[in-house]
Amino acid sequence: MEVSKTEQINKIKNFALEMRKKILEMAVSAGSSSAHFGGALSITEIVSTLFVHQMKIDKTNPNWEERDRFILSKGHACLAYYAALSEIGYISSKELQTFGKNDTNLLGHPVINKDLGIDFSNGSLGMGLSLGIGVAISSKKKKKNFNVYVIIGDGECNEGSIWEGAMAAPNFKLNNLYVVIDKNNFQQTGSNKEIMNVENLKDKWSSFGWHTVELNGHNIQELCNFFDSSKKIDKPKAVIANTVKGKGFSFSENNNEWHHSVLSKSFYEKAIKELTKR
Amino acid sequence: MDINDRNIKIWSTIGSRATLGIAALELAKKIDNLMVLTCDASTSAGLDRFRKTFPEKYLDLGIAEQNMIGVAAGLASENFNVITTTFAPFQTMRCCEQIKVNIGYMRQKICMVGIASGLSLGTLGFTHCCIEDVGILRSIPGITIISPADSLETAKALEAAIKYENSSYLRLTGASNNPIVYNKDYEFKIGKSITLKHGKDITIFCAGSMVYQSLEAAKILESKNISCKVINMHTIKPIDKIAIEESCTSKLIVSVEEHNIIGGLGSAIAEYKSSFKVSPKQLFLGIKDTYSKGGDYKFLQNKHGLTAKKIAEDILLGIK
Amino acid sequence: MSNKNKYKDIFIKSLTIDDKKFTENIKYNEIPEWDSIGHMTLISELEEGFSITIETDDIVDFSSFKKGIDILKKYNINF
Repeated sequence: MEVSKTEQINKIKNFALEMRKKILEMAVSAGSSSAHFGGALSITEIVSTLFVHQMKIDKTNPNWEERDRFILSKGHACLAYYAALSEIGYISSKELQTFGKNDTNLLGHPVINKDLGIDFSNGSLGMGLSLGIGVAISSKKKKKNFNVYVIIGDGECNEGSIWEGAMAAPNFKLNNLYVVIDKNNFQQTGSNKEIMNVENLKDKWSSFGWHTVELNGHNIQELCNFFDSSKKIDKPKAVIANTVKGKGFSFSENNNEWHHSVLSKSFYEKAIKELTKR
Repeated sequence: MDINDRNIKIWSTIGSRATLGIAALELAKKIDNLMVLTCDASTSAGLDRFRKTFPEKYLDLGIAEQNMIGVAAGLASENFNVITTTFAPFQTMRCCEQIKVNIGYMRQKICMVGIASGLSLGTLGFTHCCIEDVGILRSIPGITIISPADSLETAKALEAAIKYENSSYLRLTGASNNPIVYNKDYEFKIGKSITLKHGKDITIFCAGSMVYQSLEAAKILESKNISCKVINMHTIKPIDKIAIEESCTSKLIVSVEEHNIIGGLGSAIAEYKSSFKVSPKQLFLGIKDTYSKGGDYKFLQNKHGLTAKKIAEDILLGIK
Repeated sequence: MSNKNKYKDIFIKSLTIDDKKFTENIKYNEIPEWDSIGHMTLISELEEGFSITIETDDIVDFSSFKKGIDILKKYNINF
């Protein structure tokens, strides 16, 4: 039965809602270890759209050879990643509860674990795009049909290695490579404008040879439209997704204190109330 | 590869870099999933012929070493057998953290080859020399480090590294007209040192370009009635511990390397040796933690005491 | 064997050129076999075959079969 557009959007919205619940649970269970809260929330709609609408996934097999590959280059946003992997069934609730605990498989940056569907170790900023290029090249060489999706941060665009990758992908004609830049306007210790400005990202990526689009990273319809319309474009694709760091909760939106912080029980309760009010 | 007198002589003449190119070409004929990646260094690594013969197995990432390692890791994650190569300082230091994360931590299997390591590009200055690579990579878990003694060993080491389950770094030293240490085929095993000369007074541990120099130094010392054992420690990590244990019957242990005496072969030996209750003194021969003024290869080897004559002189002083 | 034939033989063997494809007009980089690796192999075999050591400048100038004949004259190899 074909899913209508509205149904599809709702499906994605619900997935995002569940993700936010799980992000809260993990953050509160991490306790004093604190968590990279803000940057995970800014990518929640992006991740839910990818996992529900766009990516080829086999929910019964995280190692399906034909699967689309996902690389969270801004690895500190792993709360979103683990939440999504849990929603599709790769990570059990029991496993999810170990986030931030000693000896866990779920650390503050993703560590490769094929059983849990975590394909790569990430976290040192600037490296995920190069990895994605290698994987995208592999897909073409093996004449497989899978795409590669890399999420990078706007602050992460300070790293020179990102631009090495940006230069290389069009050279290798990687039309199966998608980069989503989470433009939430903040990095660790302040706004991009205060620390290291990354203006005109759309022009920059476009001038490197990418098919580049700018959109609202929390508007699921816009995200879906982009992915649907860019399928046939014969270039690597870059989405500048304008987002809000800490999106979803009144206390965290655009508040850089929530880049990496402790989610106390009281904030957790406040957050759950806000989620369930919707 | 056809290992015969004629080829051994040719590979010696053309040097280890060009031999790398020939060896890679031969391997590509047999290994379907081989990929060779470089950073605008095809001709420098003897890969021009490879590039033309197997364009589908070759990727040039341009002058972007950090990207090269990431791309290599992406390919390795999809079961390609990957070789990366460029000049040693850039191969190991420009992308050092990428090596740590992708190769050491994520354990994507890659064989990295650092060309023109040591002092051979001394006329270009120390930006293009490399006396740090072994020291730096030794501290990253999961990387086997091999320093081939001559062009034949370069070819054999490459083949062994490609078939090996771990990631590795091959450190190529020497220039064209690379002296021959092995004039016929022999057994090469990663991790197993090779005793090239037996002797009872002194044990000389050497690697790379210093193997030939050490053998020549041993001849000089023989003429002065000092009997030297010369061991080719081609695999610096994991180090051949048994060889070190057995050397403790010598009056003196000498380590010789075209590398800083801090962090390289000598340090690796000393680290293990220091765990023994009793062991002989160790003489560290190598570059004494300095960036000197440049010059051609012979000039720099001489300046840093890395010729047979100077090695023998230093050992004579050390044995007193 | 005359020097000329020896010289020709070395070219064919070291560059692994087909006998029938060989001409005296061959030049460096104009045939796939005579690339930089082929060149060093050729030089190595010429040195071995004629018991000479060719200087770097001459290695660089050795750009064709015919040019090589002139260069070898410097080393007292006459044809």
